[in-house]
Amino acid sequence: MKSDPTFWLLARSSGLVAYALLAASVVLGLVVKSRPLGSSVSPAAVVDVHRFLALLGLGALALHGAALVADDAVDIGLGALLVPGVSPYRPVATTLGVLAAELMVVIYLSFSVRRRIGAKAWRALHWLTYLVFALATLHGLAAGTDSGRTWALAFYGAAVGAVLGALAWRLVVPPTQGGPRHVPNRDRQVAL
Amino acid sequence: MFRIAIDRSLCSGFGSCVDAAPQLFRIGDDGIAVALFEKSDVPAVLEAARSCPMGAIALLDEQGQEAA
Repeated sequence: MKSDPTFWLLARSSGLVAYALLAASVVLGLVVKSRPLGSSVSPAAVVDVHRFLALLGLGALALHGAALVADDAVDIGLGALLVPGVSPYRPVATTLGVLAAELMVVIYLSFSVRRRIGAKAWRALHWLTYLVFALATLHGLAAGTDSGRTWALAFYGAAVGAVLGALAWRLVVPPTQGGPRHVPNRDRQVAL
Repeated sequence: MFRIAIDRSLCSGFGSCVDAAPQLFRIGDDGIAVALFEKSDVPAVLEAARSCPMGAIALLDEQGQEAA
């Protein structure tokens, strides 16, 4: 009997969706401060959508993992899903994905416990997002069945380009308002 | 009317609150946000609190409960 490819297709597509959502969340996180679109987008909306995309990404990630366990194209069980290094299928590439996923969960949850762990620890964990994105990119390219296709390479290229572009903008273009650069104006008269 | 409470240990000086409500917030010399008024009822104060990436701005109601 020919095996049902549904879960295998779901595993591949949800992996791509999770990666796209992660990239989009990273880009929005990078523009919270640099605001390339100026005052036409409210900072509160950017922060809200940044968090929401990360949560959606975790949802897609859960689907990705569940579909990999459910399908029978590759031999990935619950253990290989949760413990880095024990997957028999493309072990190195899968381990990168497991590490990226688990770090992403920790970074997401760190916001809820920010008062307990403090701003410094929260910030340190958030820095790890760059590592998560790098691991996820390598995982997608190395483990993904579709990575050899032109559209897949264009997809990964666009995601990496968007993140690097937002990072460059953040580093090179000074913030328009707010932040320490705004301090010299602090003595101006303020009125409601 | 909300009383503005900034958690100084959480604020990392992003300045989102200053962008959202420059009439209510500024970044102090130590890089931490300062509220220019103890209380406010302008809509921008809600926007400012929601925009804080650290969730460091609490808006308290008359009873001192966190309202937003």
